[in-house]
Amino acid sequence: MKRLCYSIFLAIGFIFFVVSCTEEQDFDQIDDLRVTPTLASGLFYLESDEETINAAGPLNSFYFQEVNFDAFNEQYVAERLLEGVITYEMDNTTSKELQIIIEFLDDAGQLLDTELFTIEANSSETWDIPYGPGGKSIDILTNTSSLRITANNLSDSISVSSAEDPKIILRSGAQFVFQLQ
Amino acid sequence: MRIAPKLIFIVLFCGTTVFAQNKELLYDFYEIPQSLMVNPGVKTSQKWHAGIPVISGLSVQGATSGVTVNDLFANDGVDFTTKVQERLLDVMSDKDDFSTTSQIEGITVGFRGKNRPDDYYSFGMYGEMDIISYWPKDLAILAFEGNGGNNIGRSFDLGDLNLRGEMINVFHFGINRKVSESLTLGARAKIYSSIFQFQSINNSGSFTTRQGQNNVYESTINANMQLQTAGIREFYDILEEDTGTTKKDLASVFTERVLLGGNLGLGFDFGFSYNLNPQTTITGSVLDIGFINNSKDVWNYTFSGSTTTDGISVFLPEDINNVDNDLWQELIDEIDAALPQGENQSSYISWRPVKVYGSIKYDFGQGGGSVLDNCGCAVNGGSGGGSSLDYFRNSVGGQLFMMKRPRGVQAALTGFYQRRFGKTASLKATYTVDKYSFTNIGLGANLQFGPVNFYVLADNLLSYSNVADSHYASLQFGFNIISWNSN
Repeated sequence: MKRLCYSIFLAIGFIFFVVSCTEEQDFDQIDDLRVTPTLASGLFYLESDEETINAAGPLNSFYFQEVNFDAFNEQYVAERLLEGVITYEMDNTTSKELQIIIEFLDDAGQLLDTELFTIEANSSETWDIPYGPGGKSIDILTNTSSLRITANNLSDSISVSSAEDPKIILRSGAQFVFQLQ
Repeated sequence: MRIAPKLIFIVLFCGTTVFAQNKELLYDFYEIPQSLMVNPGVKTSQKWHAGIPVISGLSVQGATSGVTVNDLFANDGVDFTTKVQERLLDVMSDKDDFSTTSQIEGITVGFRGKNRPDDYYSFGMYGEMDIISYWPKDLAILAFEGNGGNNIGRSFDLGDLNLRGEMINVFHFGINRKVSESLTLGARAKIYSSIFQFQSINNSGSFTTRQGQNNVYESTINANMQLQTAGIREFYDILEEDTGTTKKDLASVFTERVLLGGNLGLGFDFGFSYNLNPQTTITGSVLDIGFINNSKDVWNYTFSGSTTTDGISVFLPEDINNVDNDLWQELIDEIDAALPQGENQSSYISWRPVKVYGSIKYDFGQGGGSVLDNCGCAVNGGSGGGSSLDYFRNSVGGQLFMMKRPRGVQAALTGFYQRRFGKTASLKATYTVDKYSFTNIGLGANLQFGPVNFYVLADNLLSYSNVADSHYASLQFGFNIISWNSN
């Protein structure tokens, strides 16, 4: 009996060791991994009260500025940018029709693209501008080094909105897909 | 950059095979001298023992509480990205871990005191590597999915980054004393000689992107993160220099640190065995109550602060005269200033992972005299004159294992059966339940060929049919020379 038990234990142990194996593994599959996160960020925010707009005069620009903007043309970002959407939202509680122009400029100051948003008095609007497949060329963003922003008053400079604290607000944000791997 | 993800995967799944520290097969397997290392108060019977250098005790144990190698790398035709999403990101939680412990005994010697035969002294040296990394769930999802899309409004927990690792050489000396017929006590002192240590265990903070109060999106980050390292920078610098003497330089630094030339620490083990009655024994031990003072070659990296950003903002009329066109760079600079990344060389204490064992054992199947009939040591053996313990062929019982980990106590419960076949062989079978596996059946054998002792202990045998699909795997084996008599 003792010998039998002994033999059984050893046999079981032997079998476990002999049968130990592993299914075929393919570690090269790592090369097929696609890491494509969607990154979201606020971009540019412009707010102006009606008094400032009126001060600039009728049919005139109340804001004009060229700002450095390297969010997309950093090499690491530019190489991995696949597609995305820039969202612009405008809230206009002033008494005027207003226009905001955003120009995308490259390193040399060359114009790459222009977005022009016009909004009626006392209204809100949203624009989604897609880039990449089915949208504008992604190269516009990857080559953009600065933005030239112009805000124009398309109306008079006398009227005042009856709204409390009338303003024009431009919001913008982006959601872009990157290929990290 | 394609190398980085590969390295991460290799480290997680191949290089640092995942290990757990529970040695349930070795625990209270007192026929094996190395059982002293998991309970310095285990019953000892031999006159002396000496491990065959380097091969007296090798242990590698592997476990993962989450995904297995097979889950990801099986050649099953499923798209790899889909597997990562469904089997890793969707399933694993921040409680899941990858960890590794391996030990190699350099020297182990034990002998019974001439003047105090109730005392058994043991000393030696062993190397140990222990690494644990909890699955950084939120950070992995942030990297894989990003903060956009469905993750708008989600708070990513930066505290999910939690890892710890070290390689040490341990010099130890222990005393095992038979206090009475029923009680054996033991203690062991350890000097830790650290080769390297790193830890990032007390991180906190979050990163959230939500619909902004002003702009379309606003992102808020608050972070209090730190990575402490000791002994790594010098290795890194040698590798970075890549001179003709790189291997020699690495070996030199490694040898120096193995031989007490690096950061040092102190620790203790305690244990006991107590016979409730001739057939019932309870045991317990506490291991590695100790620390290492990391003061040499220390480089710590910090990342802390908080900020909220929603992009470039222009308010009129306040900014009407601001002709600065570098607003983007200013925004970047503001974020950098709010979230400083620092380095320092402040020394720190790293605590050893404390382990606790406990067991109760019932012996039955009386086999006549002691299994250690030839023992001349007069302790715990039968004919030596000092013990009346009988030899039982069978033992059955339960064991509890607990270990302090960065995120709390990790426990395992084991039931075991042990069968002795005279003096030459003893087998132990275990069934263990822990976070890694509910089907962990282990088998251990101790064989005695004259003075030569050989043991082999293997865990989770059911998984051997496909090791790559195992959540847990372990193997320990070694050779010793044991003397049972006074020669």
